[in-house]
Amino acid sequence: MAEALTIRAPRTRRVPWRSILLHLVIALGAVAMFFPFYWTLVTSLNADSRLDSAPTMWPADPSLEAYATLFTRLPFARVIGNSLLLAVVTTLVQLFTSATAAYAFSRLPFRGRTVVFGIYLATMMVPLQVLVVPLFAELKAFGLVDTYLGALLPTFASAFGIFLLRQAMNQVPTELDEAAALDGAGHFWIFWTVMLPNIRPALATLAVFAFMGSWNSFLWPLVVLRSPEVQTLPVALAGLQGQFTTQWDVVMAGSIVSILPMLAIYLFAQKYVIQGVANTGLK
Amino acid sequence: MTATLARPGRTAPAATGRAPSTRRGRTPAARRRYALTVLAFLLPSALPLAMFVLGPMIAAAWISLTDWNLLAPAGWVGLDNYAKLLADPKTGEVFLHTLAYIAGYLPLVYLGGLAIALGLNTALRGRTLLRGVYFLPVVTSWIVVALVWRWLLNPANGVVNTVLAWFGVDGPGWWTDPAWAMPSIILASAWKDLGFVMVILLAGLQAIDPALLEAARVDGAGWWRRLVSITMPLLSPATFFVVVISLINGFQVFDQVYAMTGGGPGGATQVVVQQIYDLTFRYGRAGEASALSWMLFVVILAVTVVQIRGQRKWVNYG
Amino acid sequence: MRTTALAAAGIAAAAALVMTGCAADGGATEGPVTITYTNFISNDGNEENLQKIVAAFEEEHPDITVEVTTLPYADYGTALQTDLAAGTVSDVFDLEYANYAQYQANGVLAEIPVEEPSVYRESVLEAYATDGKQYALPSSFSTVVLFYNSDLFDAAGVEYPTSDWTWADEQAAAEQLTDQAAGVWGDHQPVSFYEFYKVLAQNGGEFLDESGTKTAFNSPEGVEAAEWLVGKSGTVMPTVEQGQGTPDFDTNLFTDGKLAMLHTGIWMFGAFADVPFGWDIAVEPGNAQQTSALFSNAVGVSSGSKYQDAAAEFARFLTSSDVMVETRLDAGWELPVISDESALESYLTLGDPANRQAVFDSLDQVALPPVVAKGQQEMQDIMTEELVEAQAGRKTVEEALASASERIDAAIG
Repeated sequence: MAEALTIRAPRTRRVPWRSILLHLVIALGAVAMFFPFYWTLVTSLNADSRLDSAPTMWPADPSLEAYATLFTRLPFARVIGNSLLLAVVTTLVQLFTSATAAYAFSRLPFRGRTVVFGIYLATMMVPLQVLVVPLFAELKAFGLVDTYLGALLPTFASAFGIFLLRQAMNQVPTELDEAAALDGAGHFWIFWTVMLPNIRPALATLAVFAFMGSWNSFLWPLVVLRSPEVQTLPVALAGLQGQFTTQWDVVMAGSIVSILPMLAIYLFAQKYVIQGVANTGLK
Repeated sequence: MTATLARPGRTAPAATGRAPSTRRGRTPAARRRYALTVLAFLLPSALPLAMFVLGPMIAAAWISLTDWNLLAPAGWVGLDNYAKLLADPKTGEVFLHTLAYIAGYLPLVYLGGLAIALGLNTALRGRTLLRGVYFLPVVTSWIVVALVWRWLLNPANGVVNTVLAWFGVDGPGWWTDPAWAMPSIILASAWKDLGFVMVILLAGLQAIDPALLEAARVDGAGWWRRLVSITMPLLSPATFFVVVISLINGFQVFDQVYAMTGGGPGGATQVVVQQIYDLTFRYGRAGEASALSWMLFVVILAVTVVQIRGQRKWVNYG
Repeated sequence: MRTTALAAAGIAAAAALVMTGCAADGGATEGPVTITYTNFISNDGNEENLQKIVAAFEEEHPDITVEVTTLPYADYGTALQTDLAAGTVSDVFDLEYANYAQYQANGVLAEIPVEEPSVYRESVLEAYATDGKQYALPSSFSTVVLFYNSDLFDAAGVEYPTSDWTWADEQAAAEQLTDQAAGVWGDHQPVSFYEFYKVLAQNGGEFLDESGTKTAFNSPEGVEAAEWLVGKSGTVMPTVEQGQGTPDFDTNLFTDGKLAMLHTGIWMFGAFADVPFGWDIAVEPGNAQQTSALFSNAVGVSSGSKYQDAAAEFARFLTSSDVMVETRLDAGWELPVISDESALESYLTLGDPANRQAVFDSLDQVALPPVVAKGQQEMQDIMTEELVEAQAGRKTVEEALASASERIDAAIG
């Protein structure tokens, strides 16, 4: 794939202007993308940071004070542990529920399938803000308020993930499962041995988004998880902004701490996407 | 939602138009087994979605017929909330602002994301790292992104207006000017979501057979020709996904508005979901908030149905 | 198939939700009980101080245990609304004065008997009483005063503000102190509902009429007050385009030594403690009369609480005990609403600003924000929005007030 869209002009000895231009544009774009992160980092290292003035490019007097404050003010190990637990469980469960549903929508025709798929998509179309109150009442009836399960249950299936995987499965040639079917394989076997290995890039992509969705989610954990023992990172970080004043260096330090795990997951998953394609030898 | 699972042998081909699965029997026992198979694949997702999304959605529909204020017991008002919202000029305004947002955001984020995905799909040195960098804004919180963009677009001394001044252009008031506030939000949103689109399209590009492109190149097709005739059609499932999802999310735009302008100046950037949030949690008018959500739902549903109907014309599932 | 069952479940859930009554049951405090307290006041640094007060209470009441939940201020309202809606609200919970009327009118709050009302500052305590019954107890207060940079005043040869200044004095000083070339501004006062209701009172105007459900601010006094508020922008105060209105803009300008006068709350004392110039405070100038804004937090007892007696006992302890007064003073936490000023004496000698007495002086004539039983937040949002329109010059002050008055009447009527 790599050379497919390469701009390198082959068979010529001219200066590769287009390649240079591409590199330049991509590098410039990268700077623009990186800048806010860099600014967050610098602000977090600057003891009395402020927001109105132009961002400082280099901390005048760099210190890790904000991080120290962060770690003493918040029960850090606990909130990160809670966030990680919720994110990992959500990701694994969503991968499972999305892949199975996507298989049905891609490979198992049944009457009214389009309508059912439409209803699945419809679950994305009502804003969470208006569902929170009824949802909270429902989980209260189940006795699940202030429990991990209460926070997790509504995240167990995601129409987004199902849609994403269905698109990927629709691109897998039917010849592959037909061949397996001729060998006597059932749907569960085809799903597991043919379909899943062939949509690894999409699975990795979904894993990133499912993890990110859970890791960043705010409104629902805020409402359903109250005890300090079960609080998650974004809710704890929101507590750093006071009624009247805010210490921005600490807020920015918190922001950095919450970004890093997601970035790590993304980079890990990206590698996997590329390897995945290489390994299956498909296409 | 009467999804009858019986008689699979006579079901129409899938929505995508592909050939029906090969393994469907015609005896009652086989049909039942097939129905159970379908059920087994659907149940793990259908159960949580029904219980924790559709259930509350129906509850919200019921609340929309009451005057509930979250505090005192509710009274039945029938369709009054809907009538009230339809009569309120503000409702039209927030829908209009939301549409304006989508009209600016969608082309920007799609074309930008596509350009980056194509660029980073080449044999570029350090591309894994670069993909990480381009993904950074996606994982950065809106609080931070809003602060940065407000600074970049500061009318008095922001970078953007400073650069414009070099070229003799008198920059606009951006987020302080009602006419430019929405473009400011669109710019920041597209910038933040470029990485999201990039990731989806990259996964789609990975699935394209390089041999096809190589063959086209050997046949003398130029870069543009290969893009239009091979890459784009093969990327259409991913494109379809991005467009549908971006529209569904675009109609529910909220965080960035809340963080960048709070709906101002003078209500020029108030959007539907912000109105829903305010009505519920700030104004305690849960009945109206639920009614507005259902109005929004109907609009999104209609737009999505049109897209699903229309996909046959341009989406190519290989 | 699934649809009907689902719809039934949804409607049942909704019905259960909406019918959540308020089964008020005076609690018999027999045997050990555990009450819950949800707060935002200790968030952002005072968690341990609150714990100290709770520990003292539990020691005095061995049969009562208090479970504390602390939430961020910004999201407290969202969480509380959900709890009130679902009937899961804590026995004792924090509230702001602005929300009091709405909660009281909807039967959310239980009466809290107070045997010794004299320990509280009368004016503030009364704000949380309806029809002679106490429905919440004030836990702390802050006032807004005029901060000034005395170095800038010295350099410009202008007399320091005093407690009997009027708007005209402030305006004259602000003009003398503004030096746009040097980036120095004379004055800063936010353009918002909370400033407007106060300057309106300073000008002898009324925000609401006697019925309490109709606005009265669209009057000559109101126009003059609004003009005073929005007129500073661009002459003695930066405009929105120059950054005014962004978070921390005004306080940063002040700590940078580029702002001579600033209207803000006494909660900024800590943040200004280390600035490299002289500064002090004065009671805010008035026009027809002197009036200061008072912000207060309070605690209420849920009308659905099973242990109302224990909850009320805790609410009283939290707002009037000696332990609480000491803890708050030691920690430099917001001031308690007690009447005995001698107990607060140590506050006067805590350091900058020198004129801490002005904090108590400002209490002599305070204006509480107007509150309505319905549409409080909308009233505040509309007022701020229209004033900012006038500040930006997109509307005249008269147009903005007329539009605000019309829109607010529709929201609160």
